[in-house]
Amino acid sequence: MATSPRAGSSEMRFKKVCKFCERGIRHIDYKDERLLRSFLTDRGKILPRRATGTCARHQRQLDTAVKRARFLALVPYIHGYYS
Amino acid sequence: MREYEIVYIFRSVLSNDEIEGRLERYHEKLLSHPGSEITAIEHWGKRQLAYPIAGNDNGYYVVAQFRTIPAALPEFERLLKLDDELLRHLVVLSEGEFAPLGASDEGAGESAEAPAEAPAEVTAEEGAAAPAGSEVDATPAAAEEAEEGTAEEAEEKTPAPLAAEAETETAATASDGDVTESGE
Repeated sequence: MATSPRAGSSEMRFKKVCKFCERGIRHIDYKDERLLRSFLTDRGKILPRRATGTCARHQRQLDTAVKRARFLALVPYIHGYYS
Repeated sequence: MREYEIVYIFRSVLSNDEIEGRLERYHEKLLSHPGSEITAIEHWGKRQLAYPIAGNDNGYYVVAQFRTIPAALPEFERLLKLDDELLRHLVVLSEGEFAPLGASDEGAGESAEAPAEAPAEVTAEEGAAAPAGSEVDATPAAAEEAEEGTAEEAEEKTPAPLAAEAETETAATASDGDVTESGE
């Protein structure tokens, strides 16, 4: 799942750049569930920065956006839980 | 005066007329405050919910943007809570963009977006809108003169398949181009 090196080493691979910064930022729209989904695991959890390479600022925006999207049922809280 | 954005989720069993009626009623309540205005309304229509709400598996989504004084909100929201057929509502400060269903964020990055997380009071300026069926890692494409869909898709390492989600509604509606109606 996470692509960061394990076992004690917590370095982030700096090959990745923040996808939002790259494209010239903007505000992350909580309504854009396609975009949001790409930052969630298959279970619906929010991926850590070290896995996505997102910068701190955008990660915070992402978090709020995902939480709003979850509230609006655009994205599940837990995937596959509701049958 | 502040710019707000609201998402309504109505029970899908309601007819369009009933929904229109309720929207009218609620918006009038807002408009009763001088200087308020509704700057945009977008009907997303019926959508599958990511999880059941009150026993429903789908709902009718409406997104609206409006401008009003902060003091007008508590009463407005109180009204919304009273409606049994309105499953969810969420009012937020407008974040300076207005992306239609499923669109990526590309289009909003035109002029000075408030860089900080703090929502800006910029009116919606999703001018170019999202290209039809745009996927976040696909070429953000033609609509944005500045953007060039370079090989960003290559670095997608997240496990969840990107945009392979079978949200068929999102692919279909994409940009209606009516986003530009939001008054600037």
